Amino acid sequence: MKTKFLRNLLMALFVFGVLILAGCSNNSETTGNDDQGESGEEGSEERMNIRVFAPTFTTEPPTDDSPVLKAIEDYTNKDITMEWAPNSNIEDKFNITLSSGDLPHIMVVPNKSPSFISAVEDGAFWELGPYLKDYPNLSQANEIILNNSSINGDIYGIYRSRNLGRTGVIIRKDWLENLGLEEPKTIDEFYNMLKAFKEQDPDGDGQDDTYGLVVSKYEGPWDVMQTWFGVPNRWGEDENGELYPFFMDDNYVESLNFFKKLYDEGLVNEDFAVMDPAQWSEPVISGEAGVQVNVLDEGHRIQDKIVEANPENTEPITVIKAVEGDHGLLNLPTSGYNGMLAISKTSVKSEEELKQVLDFIDKLGDEEAQILAGNGIEGRQYDIVDGELVNHAQDDPALLAEMDGLNQLLTFIPESKVLTPAGDPLRELEEKLMKENEEIVVANPAESYISEVYSKKGQQLDNIILDARVKYIVGQIDEAGLEEAIELWKQNGGTDYIAEINQLHQEAQK
Amino acid sequence: MANVHDNTLERTAAKSKKGKWNQILKEKWLYLMVLPGLAYFLIFKYFPMWGIVIAFQDYSPFLGVFGSEWVGFEHFQYFFSNPDFLRLLRNTFILALYDLVFFFPAPIILALMLNEIRISIYKRALQTMVYVPHFMSWVIIASISYVFLTTGGGVVNDLIAKLIGQEINFLSSPEWFRPMIIGQIIWKETGWGTVIFLAALASVDQEQYEAAIVDGAGRFRRLWHVTLPALRSTIVILLILRLGNFLDTGFQQIYLMSNSLNRSVADVFDTYVYFVGITEGAFSYSTAVGLFKSVVGIVLIVGADRIAKKLGQGGLF
Amino acid sequence: MHRMHNTGPGRVFDIFNHVFLAVVALITVVPFLYIIGGSFATESEIATRSFFVIPNEITTAAYDYIFSTDAVLRSLGISILITVLGTAVSMILTLTMAYPLSRKTMVGRNFILNLILFSMLFGGGMIPTYLLVKGLGLLDSIWALILPVAINPFNLIIVKTFFQELPKELEDASKIDGCTEFQTFWRVMLPLSKPVIATFTLFYAVFYWNDFFQALLYLTDTTKWPIQLLLQQLVMVANMGIGDLQEAQLYEPPEESVKLAVIVIATVPILLFYPFLQKHFAKGVMLGSVKG
Repeated sequence: MKTKFLRNLLMALFVFGVLILAGCSNNSETTGNDDQGESGEEGSEERMNIRVFAPTFTTEPPTDDSPVLKAIEDYTNKDITMEWAPNSNIEDKFNITLSSGDLPHIMVVPNKSPSFISAVEDGAFWELGPYLKDYPNLSQANEIILNNSSINGDIYGIYRSRNLGRTGVIIRKDWLENLGLEEPKTIDEFYNMLKAFKEQDPDGDGQDDTYGLVVSKYEGPWDVMQTWFGVPNRWGEDENGELYPFFMDDNYVESLNFFKKLYDEGLVNEDFAVMDPAQWSEPVISGEAGVQVNVLDEGHRIQDKIVEANPENTEPITVIKAVEGDHGLLNLPTSGYNGMLAISKTSVKSEEELKQVLDFIDKLGDEEAQILAGNGIEGRQYDIVDGELVNHAQDDPALLAEMDGLNQLLTFIPESKVLTPAGDPLRELEEKLMKENEEIVVANPAESYISEVYSKKGQQLDNIILDARVKYIVGQIDEAGLEEAIELWKQNGGTDYIAEINQLHQEAQK
Repeated sequence: MANVHDNTLERTAAKSKKGKWNQILKEKWLYLMVLPGLAYFLIFKYFPMWGIVIAFQDYSPFLGVFGSEWVGFEHFQYFFSNPDFLRLLRNTFILALYDLVFFFPAPIILALMLNEIRISIYKRALQTMVYVPHFMSWVIIASISYVFLTTGGGVVNDLIAKLIGQEINFLSSPEWFRPMIIGQIIWKETGWGTVIFLAALASVDQEQYEAAIVDGAGRFRRLWHVTLPALRSTIVILLILRLGNFLDTGFQQIYLMSNSLNRSVADVFDTYVYFVGITEGAFSYSTAVGLFKSVVGIVLIVGADRIAKKLGQGGLF
Repeated sequence: MHRMHNTGPGRVFDIFNHVFLAVVALITVVPFLYIIGGSFATESEIATRSFFVIPNEITTAAYDYIFSTDAVLRSLGISILITVLGTAVSMILTLTMAYPLSRKTMVGRNFILNLILFSMLFGGGMIPTYLLVKGLGLLDSIWALILPVAINPFNLIIVKTFFQELPKELEDASKIDGCTEFQTFWRVMLPLSKPVIATFTLFYAVFYWNDFFQALLYLTDTTKWPIQLLLQQLVMVANMGIGDLQEAQLYEPPEESVKLAVIVIATVPILLFYPFLQKHFAKGVMLGSVKG
């Protein structure tokens, strides 16, 4: 009896397997057709199929039957196939796709990584510089950011525009008020504020349960704060016009000592080196920490959450640009773009097709397309009531899933036309500071240079310095250890790197 | 017995070429059966082995294997002269050693203790419970670890803070990385590891115990003289197997638990190959590192097999 | 059954043993209970950790949220499909390959065995395998998660050893009855292999259920994500840099209780599956590996 059962089970599994096998291989054939779908599908009048590789932050990005995606397809008159890659593994996925040699038409390139550059050198992507002027939106691209995003001056991807001066300091305003403090203007005042937030019970609950600054595993805040001390943005230029890396600047150790002091006195969270960046704002929201150095627009997101939990606390957050050190008021810029859209030569074979793809990207800059990708469909994801945006998608995961992530396709060239909710005072302040920031940001003189040494060993070199900085802050190494790390950096190729960057710099000066 | 039988058959089979062909024809079903599996190995294991050659190239996907430049042993030379090399070797070795010393005996001890439980419902309940973690993926274990061990909020650190007055930075300090990794392995796999030992214990002849009792042997003497010898061959085999796979550290686990503070001790061969190769796109260099690891692995396996044969365990395979 | 005569120190040991094992069992189970509890807790309770295992206020908000879209259910379905299908394929391939290799009379047996052993040590690496899967047109198909890992050589060798240990006489008898090797395998060997089949069914099933890496490599269609990949993306760090935060503007990181609920959902099915096979596998593991 039993043995018979087992045999039957196995048989059933096998038959089941064969059936599914047949079913699925049909499936994969149809997807295969989709992939080469330039031939177009019947009924849709020869729309060009464009495959797009893009990162997703959600586990549920829009699928092919999303009405929002369909609306964008109609607007641009293209057939879009999204190939999503989870953002936390975007570099892995990008490299694997590169290695396959068969690239989608458009790839959102996360950064100028060594593998992207070597793919460019091997001729995997189109050089777009000469074509941009022919398109109404793309022709208005910002020259500086184009240069930043270029590879030694050649444009291999259309940058996705971002605000240059987004960084700032987010402060619990209610705590400042409770303690009778002013917004800090200088580094010393900044320090005093953090100390007060730790020691003077800013939330007034009688318990020692608060601290000053929250930092996560993401190292950005240290980069920003060292800029306040006059440390250059990645590369500094000495009086002879020679470039040197930021950590060889005289002010670097001073800034690290400041960070170390913050850490030693418990003014910054002890677990910063492992803290999940996704949780970074939690301590500010829950009232454990009072300050965050982040992008300014995180301020209103934090505020909204605090207000949601406690409606009586109406304006708990304020933001400032930076605090002043011995070298004046300085801030770290972002590069002005975040990733770029590169067009591959393996899928886009002719200039004819290239122009179609560029036309597609250009159309995405139109107001209507930007709103579709950024806000969704009117009457579905949002409504305009009395001239103000009312968002329905935020509270409805199903509606959100129809559009969430499509804004990854937007370049925001010439500018963002996505609808934003009516500005409260904080949002307006953020906008204002971002504009003002452009006056005080420190540019990176070597931004567009592509170093061969860096493309080979950049990650490793960066890690040496980043690890040493964290270790110095937490006291695992002292100043001698810092010197050792720099020595190690030099030996591992840093010396060549400096020489190479200077050579590129001199060539660019000519 | 069976062996003798086999050998004679084999000898007759191998007597002549003609005999061989007859044998194959006679057993044609065997070949038909082996075919799908063999096809699997040829297609999915052997075909991709062309990839090894890129260790000797400056491989670029767009130029292909035929278009890429040959560089000989350059990547190997670079690797051996790189400080990373010694660090990887050290990290991998120490982690494997810890695993052997701290994890390996754990299931044996647990199995012996479980074996002493006479109330069978209780025993079965215990077994079922300790097996549970084995079924969880490393993603789950890593997130649970984070929930429990993080400072400033982790349950375990809350407790430690109450006991000794300060928190321990398990997740980020290099000196806690290895204990944490081993701790996770012990938590996840000890229960499951007892399965094999309990099975071996179940097969111990009860008469031997009876005889020992008659001889007046106490509980611990019975353990020493009857139970442990029964486990001996199982332990030896598992030990040798472990030695053969000495360099295989759990990729997913270490991948998920490493960060910039503990990277100096966390990097092992498997994760390094992935980070350098896939995340950073250094295809050729990482292939070279992987190849080196494979070669060392072969040496270890062959060595372990020799030892097994010497100990009269009849080889590993 | 014989009774153990408990002497003084033996009794002390018994008590210690019972207590110690109870503690061990608790340590293994409590974290998971905590996760289950947390998935039913409110966000503020999780933040303040004001409960132990059972939250003061029980809410199903996390589950409501998860099931308000079909992503998680769909992923579960896909995981189940992959697990069932993958296990079936793996078992069929493993059993049919292991049996001939257990026959020492088979010409070329050693060659094939060495081929297998060698493949355990050398591999072409991730990129060539990826190219192969792509070349076979399997990208974005769930077969890409199954075929490249269909046979685990370790399992294969253990099953082979098991077949080897079965009494020779049975085979001989069935041969005399005029059975082909396949019939012998099918009618005689398989019915005897129940424990082994149960054990390795379980092994393969756990493997397919827990794997996220293959899916990460080979799937770009997110509607085909298995539950583990979904979980990994939810729980593990989404590395957000300064620039990235704007990308995430519309995306709020999931609440802690949602993560915990997904952990529960990803673990429970495989736990439900294993008691059915538990009866057999202990025997199977031992048969396979004691004599390696």
